[in-house]
Amino acid sequence: MDTKAILDHQFTVAAYAITWVIQLGYLAWLGLRWRAQKRKAARSARNPR
Amino acid sequence: MKKFAIGLYVAITAVLMAWGFYQAIYVAPDEQTMHEVQRIFYYHVPSAMIAFLFFAISLAGSICFLALRRSHPERAQASDAWALAGAEVGVVFCTVVLITGPLWGHRVWWGGGDWGHGTWWTWDPRLTTTLVLWLIYVSYLLLRRFAAGPQVQALAAVLNIFGALDVPIVYMSNRWWRGAHPGPVFGGGPDSGIHDPAMMHAFCWNIAAWLAWGLLLLALRYHIERQQQSFAAQQAQEAIEA
Repeated sequence: MDTKAILDHQFTVAAYAITWVIQLGYLAWLGLRWRAQKRKAARSARNPR
Repeated sequence: MKKFAIGLYVAITAVLMAWGFYQAIYVAPDEQTMHEVQRIFYYHVPSAMIAFLFFAISLAGSICFLALRRSHPERAQASDAWALAGAEVGVVFCTVVLITGPLWGHRVWWGGGDWGHGTWWTWDPRLTTTLVLWLIYVSYLLLRRFAAGPQVQALAAVLNIFGALDVPIVYMSNRWWRGAHPGPVFGGGPDSGIHDPAMMHAFCWNIAAWLAWGLLLLALRYHIERQQQSFAAQQAQEAIEA
């Protein structure tokens, strides 16, 4: 494998990996927000003003 | 039943993602001049198309919010939730576009000589208008996150409508102006299009996969926003009663 092919491979892997990190990171962030909101709603239901 | 439908949808999305990845990496042939790095195209272009779709959903949500906010407040709140969800998921996909594009360009836009490194960024019309689009929608999200008061939703909706005007400019930019960005994949004249059937299949599968994934994120974000709205309304009601 020549240098060009190795670099092409590395950049392709980087593009795919970064895409997945962004997408899964966003999904995880949404999951955390959802969980926090469910907890807040449960707390609010237990202690109504 | 609802849980089963959601589970089924998630399972179909996961299969589509895996199949799209397999098609892009193992089935589609190497492009003749760019070779392996051209495979970035299978994630870059579908992400751009889906970002446009979600910005359009966001625009529709903002228009509906402005139209319904006095006559049908509850429907307006739902429209606003769609607007926010569309903008946020659109920004995520647009971020992917703005990162994968320069990774491809760095390998392909090389200055000559040995196959070294090219440029990460040029102020090409397509790149510049896409960056402006991303900045507009990030400012929309920051406005939604940090501004307070009864007019924030209406102001954000107006910003969204003006921001969406950039979408057709981005789309047409590589037709209207010459630049370093490749020409349109579809509808750009006799030379445009994907001529290899295996490449076309990989491209279409990845559009389907990323669309399914994006709709999943959109639905989840919408659901969270509706919960947030309902919680805020409940708190406001309790404050009035207290």
